[in-house]
Amino acid sequence: MSLFKRSPWILHYDGSSCNGCDIEVLACLTPLYDVERFGVVNTGNPKHADILLVTGSVNERNIEIITNLYRQMPSPKVVVAVGACACSGGIFARAYNIQGGIDQVVPVDVYVPGCAARPESIIDGVVQGIAALEQKRRRTA
Amino acid sequence: MSELIVFLVAFPLLVSGVLLLVTKGTVRNAIVVVACGVVAAASLVTVFAFGNGDAVFFGLPGGLTPGHAILVMEVAIALFVVVISLRNGRIMAPIMALAQLGIALYLDLGGHLPEPDPQRLFWFDRLTMVMVLVIGIIGPLICVHALGYMRDYQRSNPQIGGRRTSFFFLLFLFLAAMFGLVVSNDLPMLHVFWEITTLCSFLLIGYTRTKETVGYAFNALNMNLLGGLGFSVAILLLAGQPGGLDLARLTTGPAAATLLPAIALLALAGITKSAQMPFSSWLLGAMYAPSPTSALLHSSTMVKAGVFLLLRLSPAMAGSGVGTLVAFVGLLTFLFVSLVAVTEQNTKKVLAYSTIGSLGLITGCAGIGTPELLWVGVMIVIFHAVAKALLFLVVGTLENRLYTKDMENFDTLLSRMPRVSVLALTGIAGMFIAPFGIVVAKWTAIRAFLEVPGFAGASFLIIMAFGSSLTIFYWGKLLIKVLSMRSIEPYERSIEARVTRYEWFAEIALAVGVIGVAACLGLISDHVVGPYAVAAFSAAPRVFLHLDPAMVVVMLVAVLFLPALALWSARRSSYDEADFYTSGRTANAGHLMGAALGGTRTVTLRNYYLDGVVNGALVFRTGTLVCGAVLLAAGLVALAVAR
Amino acid sequence: MSPFAWGLVFVVVAPLFGGLLAGADRIVSARMQGRVGPPLLQPFYDVGKLFQKEARQVNPVVEPLLLGHLGFMAAAGGMAIGGTDLIFTAFVFALAALCLVLAAGSVNSPYSFAGAERELVVLLASEPFFILMLAAICKVTGESTFAGVLASPVLVAPQLPGVMLAFLFVATIKLRKSPFDISTSHHPHQELVSGLTSDMSGRLLAYVELAHWYESALLCAFVLLFFNWSVPLGLLAFAIAYGLEVLVDNSTSRAKWQLVLRSTWAVTLLLTGGNVLALFLVGR
Repeated sequence: MSLFKRSPWILHYDGSSCNGCDIEVLACLTPLYDVERFGVVNTGNPKHADILLVTGSVNERNIEIITNLYRQMPSPKVVVAVGACACSGGIFARAYNIQGGIDQVVPVDVYVPGCAARPESIIDGVVQGIAALEQKRRRTA
Repeated sequence: MSELIVFLVAFPLLVSGVLLLVTKGTVRNAIVVVACGVVAAASLVTVFAFGNGDAVFFGLPGGLTPGHAILVMEVAIALFVVVISLRNGRIMAPIMALAQLGIALYLDLGGHLPEPDPQRLFWFDRLTMVMVLVIGIIGPLICVHALGYMRDYQRSNPQIGGRRTSFFFLLFLFLAAMFGLVVSNDLPMLHVFWEITTLCSFLLIGYTRTKETVGYAFNALNMNLLGGLGFSVAILLLAGQPGGLDLARLTTGPAAATLLPAIALLALAGITKSAQMPFSSWLLGAMYAPSPTSALLHSSTMVKAGVFLLLRLSPAMAGSGVGTLVAFVGLLTFLFVSLVAVTEQNTKKVLAYSTIGSLGLITGCAGIGTPELLWVGVMIVIFHAVAKALLFLVVGTLENRLYTKDMENFDTLLSRMPRVSVLALTGIAGMFIAPFGIVVAKWTAIRAFLEVPGFAGASFLIIMAFGSSLTIFYWGKLLIKVLSMRSIEPYERSIEARVTRYEWFAEIALAVGVIGVAACLGLISDHVVGPYAVAAFSAAPRVFLHLDPAMVVVMLVAVLFLPALALWSARRSSYDEADFYTSGRTANAGHLMGAALGGTRTVTLRNYYLDGVVNGALVFRTGTLVCGAVLLAAGLVALAVAR
Repeated sequence: MSPFAWGLVFVVVAPLFGGLLAGADRIVSARMQGRVGPPLLQPFYDVGKLFQKEARQVNPVVEPLLLGHLGFMAAAGGMAIGGTDLIFTAFVFALAALCLVLAAGSVNSPYSFAGAERELVVLLASEPFFILMLAAICKVTGESTFAGVLASPVLVAPQLPGVMLAFLFVATIKLRKSPFDISTSHHPHQELVSGLTSDMSGRLLAYVELAHWYESALLCAFVLLFFNWSVPLGLLAFAIAYGLEVLVDNSTSRAKWQLVLRSTWAVTLLLTGGNVLALFLVGR
């Protein structure tokens, strides 16, 4: 029996985000949405996390960071891109410092659109991510 | 038996004389190695000859008595002190030495010194056996280690020059004096050996002849002479008593009230020699001497002489105000120095503080005076001697190879010097993790303190609780440093290769000793220390060690855990040691971390030394004052009771 | 049933107790924060999941040291219940805590190392108390084993009020509750960096969690020692104490390590030391 769907732990990273999506992510932890009911914990550590939740896009400075964080996560792991900037760069896609969505540097499993993405969408995205996690675990088990 | 004792004392003396004449390095090495083997063998033979019975008393072959030889030695000692002190412009030491000489002259020439019983010059019981083994096995191992160590030490300190002859002369003289000290039953004779050890430590501490070390050496001389003077005055007071100068007779049971001042003075001698507060500064000054000196002084010989005398005095002090106050001095010292050790970065100083603390525990046990606590005291003597000697030698080796004493620089030792790490971990485990060792002693002590009534019992318990926790803290810091790992450069692999075979031999032998002594805990307790404690108090036989199978299993695992871990991990090479978390920044094995704006920073990891919470110097001064006051109180109590 | 058998029972049952306690902890905390909280069995799901994750070995000594931590912690509890001298188990308890410090300290990460040093400070702060507490309990009852104390006719709690108050204070440290959770963060705190556990993943983290459950069970056993005349009363007292801890956890922010050390030592010296002194002066 896989326990990942009972205990998905999240690492939340803010790339170049305006913090709109970040606030929505944190809202999921508040009493209104309370994702801890599903066992979701926002850990601060890549080594403890299963799901990398990224908001904002990739710029020159954080390529290294995002790849390091992804690399330091133990497998199985999934990446969920939250918000338009993480998916494709959003309205900043053509800015000089923005490389694009985070799929430029790490493999993304779930795209959650929105600007800012709504908590319901984010939770739905995480649930999809858990399904992807299960798949990966079964493949490597 | 008496021939063996004479051999034990005379042989190292002879060797030291010979070494004074030899200058060629290879010849000296050969003589030292052979002599060490002979001393170790002689100690074992002596112990075998004794068997494991009750105390034996005997005299010199042919029924000789020391007679005026003691006075001659006293004159020689005093003369030496006076000359060397005046040459260095010191006056405290000559004053005390002359005072001692004055007492000796008055007693001997004035006819006040009673003739010692020729058949009771020497006293050999189980405690003597323990001490002979400690001196006779650990002492030679240290001398052997010194052969390798001094060669490198000389190379890095060329200004010392060719004084290695005198160094080894002093080491063997020391051994001779220590043997004489632990077997003597006649107090004046004991006093002579006592003062010889004082002189040896003075000369060894001042070995490098720098202005600083000369200062430390004289500090040691002053403090130890003070103790020696107290010893002399005690002899003066006891000379008038029938059988007063026979140590065994003096300590069969609680001392008569009139004898308490003399007992207190003898305790003072023990306290100064074992560097209890307020006399701790000399031992710390001794840290500036070469490591074999520190090892010799601080684990197997000099300071053990101090607690040896205190353990002998234990039955005499039992139940008296003097005993309780002496116990306070010891336990308060333990507390204060453990607190200071937490703030100390110099590893040798940490080891010194730890030694003073362990000796404080023994002093505390001796002062309270019950069979259980005497058992604890002797156990600590045994375990501490082996483990601390090992640690000092290892730190000496590390110092020679890494050119540092700062424990911050001992990090990643497991990667850089894996084999030495195994030895270091064995030593540290022997000091405080190996429940077989010090922990069993501490546990028994706590249980014994529960039986001590009143304010004293409560205080001892509280001191013990805080003191033990502090020891865990400073040993823990050292362990963290030793256990960290990183990938090493090829040139770093050669560092360990340069450790000499003398150093390996001594350190490995001691490490085996630590484990061996831990494994034989039950045997040692049942056959040696237990019977000794019972006999000293003429008490009913009892079980001292209450071990159940679970405890034995846990302890066995605990003592072997860290060294085994070190041995095993040294072989593993496939791990990504740069995989640690630094907020996503790239870090590499060279401890460089990517920083803001594309720069790099070095990752420095520094232990906590409780800055801002504990002021080491202030604690040390406070301890000195408090213990000095308690000591003074002990003296006053003794005088008051004797009236 | 012999004490030894009880010891084995402890070794098997304590993780279950600890896990359920942790689950209840999270639910109560969530309710205090106006949320619903996870299911009661959540900690078991977490640990189970951790065993299914990859365990990154930052260096080879971390895993053995953590196994040592878990092993000695289980042993400390098992031995305490199983009839070993209580004061001796305090030393084994300290050894277990030290193994965790060494495991985290051996990693070269600044966060892990700082967590290890702070955990060592925490050990320094709390160890004197446990030695004194167990010594005081032994002195009051004249017994030295768990079963002995429970069977003793002497009531422990009324004679050791100072020690019990200090226990509440020090338990905050061992249970990793704010304001004394200085070395690592624990649910429900959503911390940025985990300190002690920052470089432990997969089953390594699971060992730390399991050891914490053993620790909680051992602390419950200590409370039973205080209320040695009635086990149900002891369990109730533990539940109330734990509830208080959760309340304090949710209403305070983390203290600086200097404050933790000073305050714990002051409490140990004054409340526990004072109580012990009274015992010695008044008692037999």
